[in-house]
Amino acid sequence: MKAFKYLSPTTVEEAIAFHGRHSETAKYIGGGTDVIVKVKEGWMEPDYLISLKKIEEMSELHKNDATGELSIGAMVTHATLEKSLMIRNEYPIIYDAVSNIGSLQVRNVGTIGGNLINAVPSADGAIPLIALDGVALLHGPDGERSVEVKDLFIAPYKTVLKPREILKKITIPPQEPHTGSAYIKFGRRAAMELPLIGIGVLLTLDDDDTCAKARICLGVAAPTPMRAFDAENFLVGKKIDENILIEAGKIAADESKVRDSIRGKAWHRKEMIRVHVRRMGLKCLNMIKDNY
Amino acid sequence: MSKSNNELSSEFSVVGKRIPKLDAAQKAMGRAEYIQDIKLPGMLFGKILYSKYAHANIVKIDTSKAVAFPGVHAVLTGEDVPKKMKMGLIKDNPPIKKGKVCSFRDEVAAVAAISPEIAKKALGLIEIEYEELEGIFDPEKAMEKNSPLVHDHLKSNVLKMPWNIHYGDVEKAEKESAFVVEDRFTTTWVTHCCMGTSGAVALFDASENLTIYTNTQIPSLAHKDFLEALKAMGLENKRVRVIKPVIGGGFGSKLDTYAYEHIAILLAYKCHKPVKIVFDRVEEFKATSTRQPTVTYIKQGCDKNGKLTFRNMRMVLDNGGHTSWGATTPSVMLMPISSLYRVENVKYNAKCVYTNNTYSQAMRGYGNPQATFAIESSMDILAEKAGIDRIEFRRINKNRSGDETPQGLKITSCGLEECIDAVKEELKFDGKNEKGVGTGIASLIHVGGGARIYGSDGCGAILKMDDYGKVDIFTGGTDMGQGLDNITAQIVAEELGLLAEDINVVHSDTDICPWDVGAHASRSTFVAGNAALGAAKKVKKKIQDFASKLFDVPCEKIELKDKLVFVPEDKEKSMTIGKLLRKAHFRPGGTMLMAEHFYDPDNQNMGKELKGNMSMTYSFGAHGAKVKVDEETGKVEVLEYVAAHDVGRAINPLLLEGQVYGGVVMGLGYALTEEVTIKDGKIMNANFRDYKLFTAKDAVKIKAPVIETIDKDGPFGAKGIGEPGCVPTAPAIANAIYDAVGVRIKDLPITPEKVLAALKEKNG
Amino acid sequence: MTTNISFLLNGDEISYDIKDHWTLLHLLREEMGLIGTKEGCGNGECGACTVIVDKLAVNSCLYLAVEADGKTIETIEGLASTEGSLHPLQQSFVDNGGIQCGFCTPGMIMSSKALLDENPGADREEIKHALAGNICRCTGYIQIFESVEAAKEPVVENRGGQNE
Repeated sequence: MKAFKYLSPTTVEEAIAFHGRHSETAKYIGGGTDVIVKVKEGWMEPDYLISLKKIEEMSELHKNDATGELSIGAMVTHATLEKSLMIRNEYPIIYDAVSNIGSLQVRNVGTIGGNLINAVPSADGAIPLIALDGVALLHGPDGERSVEVKDLFIAPYKTVLKPREILKKITIPPQEPHTGSAYIKFGRRAAMELPLIGIGVLLTLDDDDTCAKARICLGVAAPTPMRAFDAENFLVGKKIDENILIEAGKIAADESKVRDSIRGKAWHRKEMIRVHVRRMGLKCLNMIKDNY
Repeated sequence: MSKSNNELSSEFSVVGKRIPKLDAAQKAMGRAEYIQDIKLPGMLFGKILYSKYAHANIVKIDTSKAVAFPGVHAVLTGEDVPKKMKMGLIKDNPPIKKGKVCSFRDEVAAVAAISPEIAKKALGLIEIEYEELEGIFDPEKAMEKNSPLVHDHLKSNVLKMPWNIHYGDVEKAEKESAFVVEDRFTTTWVTHCCMGTSGAVALFDASENLTIYTNTQIPSLAHKDFLEALKAMGLENKRVRVIKPVIGGGFGSKLDTYAYEHIAILLAYKCHKPVKIVFDRVEEFKATSTRQPTVTYIKQGCDKNGKLTFRNMRMVLDNGGHTSWGATTPSVMLMPISSLYRVENVKYNAKCVYTNNTYSQAMRGYGNPQATFAIESSMDILAEKAGIDRIEFRRINKNRSGDETPQGLKITSCGLEECIDAVKEELKFDGKNEKGVGTGIASLIHVGGGARIYGSDGCGAILKMDDYGKVDIFTGGTDMGQGLDNITAQIVAEELGLLAEDINVVHSDTDICPWDVGAHASRSTFVAGNAALGAAKKVKKKIQDFASKLFDVPCEKIELKDKLVFVPEDKEKSMTIGKLLRKAHFRPGGTMLMAEHFYDPDNQNMGKELKGNMSMTYSFGAHGAKVKVDEETGKVEVLEYVAAHDVGRAINPLLLEGQVYGGVVMGLGYALTEEVTIKDGKIMNANFRDYKLFTAKDAVKIKAPVIETIDKDGPFGAKGIGEPGCVPTAPAIANAIYDAVGVRIKDLPITPEKVLAALKEKNG
Repeated sequence: MTTNISFLLNGDEISYDIKDHWTLLHLLREEMGLIGTKEGCGNGECGACTVIVDKLAVNSCLYLAVEADGKTIETIEGLASTEGSLHPLQQSFVDNGGIQCGFCTPGMIMSSKALLDENPGADREEIKHALAGNICRCTGYIQIFESVEAAKEPVVENRGGQNE
């Protein structure tokens, strides 16, 4: 592996300053499960790796009971999210997604922020955060700015982050009552998979059981994680039952931009969207029913 | 009825016992030394540069920058390889190519340097100009007249191999059949995925004798290959010593010698230093060989009572760019084709065809999984057409003890029917399954008593006893995790009245271990076991002879048990074996007890007619699967799996179950998830993320009933069982899927995509 | 780019001058000679290099040595007692056929240890989830699960209501 100098600042400002001093040849590193592979393979050749591990605020997972807002530090590991009962009970879609990323060894080290910034089309972590209307807080030399997670991605391996910017945390607005959410990673195996396709669904129902809010988010369905807006719009205002979800699945499959790859064929990916939008939708409905 | 595996072989003290693997504690502590762990003083590190193209002429190579790079000791190209240094079955493969490359895995240069990093950097400095040629990647297309030639000096891509047989009269039998079915099946590349990657360390002593540490399943044949390599290098009359470190998985991958071994030898010779080459995982995927992929056309028929009348099979094998043992897998495929179930009229033709893909090798089952996939899928199709229950159909045609098959295989012990019964008992097969759930069965025959594919199918053993009742046994056999160490120790201990822990099994060094043809063909328990047993019997005789004089009783009255040598009817006449050994040793004209035994089974080379009893005995088995198919996604879940085997005798049920479980899961990967994805000759998934081995989370419930038929020739009645676990797995699954949802998948692996596409076609 | 780090390795306090770009695997195997930890893929996809860092199983091939500073590291070499007797997990893997070729074994045992340390009563599903990142090609996993289960502390049964 190429030699580099490892720096471990304790504040975001310090990290950005380090980066400024070494400009072109510095890279941030989170858990390292993606960055180390890239350096080993020679796809990334940094002279400096600036670790974000010692920046305490970035590892905080916190729900504000007064406002209902959830704040996930970018350096929170997948395992931390997986083990949190609060996440499991209140944000099942996050639990579904993070509990099956890579192996436990990777989840113990890999971070939610790293999963987003790596920006692969198959990033499991992005789907729930988009479905939950998550907002990414970015911190750069000129201060902070917010970007919705859904707008974070430009292309495979490319985000809106400017070179020195750091993804500090993701905030999730308070969840409305009568909300259910679920994610499934479809692959050939039960573990260690990159999804052939990833499907996340979130539904919020009104008191009269009509759909107040719908989120259908897809991974590997396009060059970047995407929302199936047509399908979402179709659901809103309707009384949700299985037939409606079948229809939504078809719409979502149609608006996806799936492609053939060595991992899977486009037609099958489309089918899986169709089937799993319904299945995840039904799971959401059951969750809402159970919580009444 | 099968007994529980805990009740097997209770008449013995050591044989039949669940004795933990002898080297397990060492491995559990992280102390076992694999090739990765070997470090020698002054050692250099070698790296290999592979071709950039599947098919190309090498126009120019410039190594000057690499040679000049600090830390580099040597750079080799094809020009530096002696002309006669060639590898493989028909010696068509020099360790570094010159002039032309015919696959992406073709070696074009190699470097030795003071660190792996420097060697890798130096590879990047080698400049090669290629002239790309049109490649050919489909073996059936490669057979066509105008196809590009992989090897220019040959007139055709089709290899001259003898795989063409006809027993009985297939055409006549077909005409007389009541039911005939015909289908095409394909299997693709899969690979061994040994967790410990390949590697070797080569060094020469001051007299130019070679020592090579290498992961090999064939120490004696490797010894011969390396002697030939030295000869090609102009080093006549030198010695070669092959040392096997602890092997991190074999599965057939180490049945040939490879370029990295020859390159390590060349580099070590050039640098006068030890040179180590160890593959990284990507290299392991790209530069080791796969299981032989096949295209199979099968036609078989039966009469109105369900008796098989004929089996006619034709195969095309993708040979890749060079020829290793993959091209000989038809010799083993012949066995299930001619002899799985009773069938008198058999025709088989296989063509091995050069392409610009990777070349294949031996992999657990040696062709049998491919052939059995077609045969056992076709059996279900034929049973359905004939309107006969598929289990009954198999029973009608089952092999029986005493049969001689059209190929000339002599079936001695045969527990096939008991295996089928065991599967039926576990999985019911009563057709009462919920929607989307189905059961499937498939049987197997495999060599269980050696397999004569070489001038000798033998194995030697040397046994010596110390003064305290401990034994060192030097066996030609190879342990690569499968447990030959235990089998050897338990057999010897049983014979000599000792405990397994009293036996030290040495199997690692050709300087001290006798000859053996290799750890292949599930032959080690039978052949190496018989070699060890033969040596133990000789030593036992010596102990009895000595005790006979000591106790003044006839030899045959003396028994060995519980570390004692004694006369059962006279309690006074008893002594520890250790004491007897000392008495034999420390006296005027003393002696220490030793013996050697070379066992070469009385099996036959098939010869030109491709007929003959290739193995002393055959192992049988039946596998049953219960699956659930998700009809919306095509995903198959294995709910239950039963793998029943006729093993002759279970020498060690714990290790036997381990072989079966491991084989079955490897077979399930073959059936459902694994494939080396190759696009225009290039491997696209050279990593564990995209090459989909079963993970712990995918593991399924497996039952492994053991049928003991006590084979007359096996050591304590045992037959081989290393490979069968993965032989009929794919057809058992395919048959279960058909039973569940009515679609027949004929191409491995059976991915959700294929199942869903078939379901859509079926449902319109 | 040399950094001095201090860490607790299998109970020993270690101070070591390392290069920043070394992985923990490199430090253990190549520098310190602790060959028990294996490299199976180098990319975090096989688990052969699993060690325990502050109670968590991690792939040492993707973990920088510099980040071990101040941490408590456990490797396979630290499991057996100082008198040489095997750790219950090691013994259980030996006794139950959990080991064939043995290459995945150190990583497999370390993952199992991290699991049982955190969740001594782990059931079959939890074991499968925790070991999903440790690839084994030999065993089909069944005897590995049995090994882990047999190494669990025996459950003390509560004989409810039976006062003395």
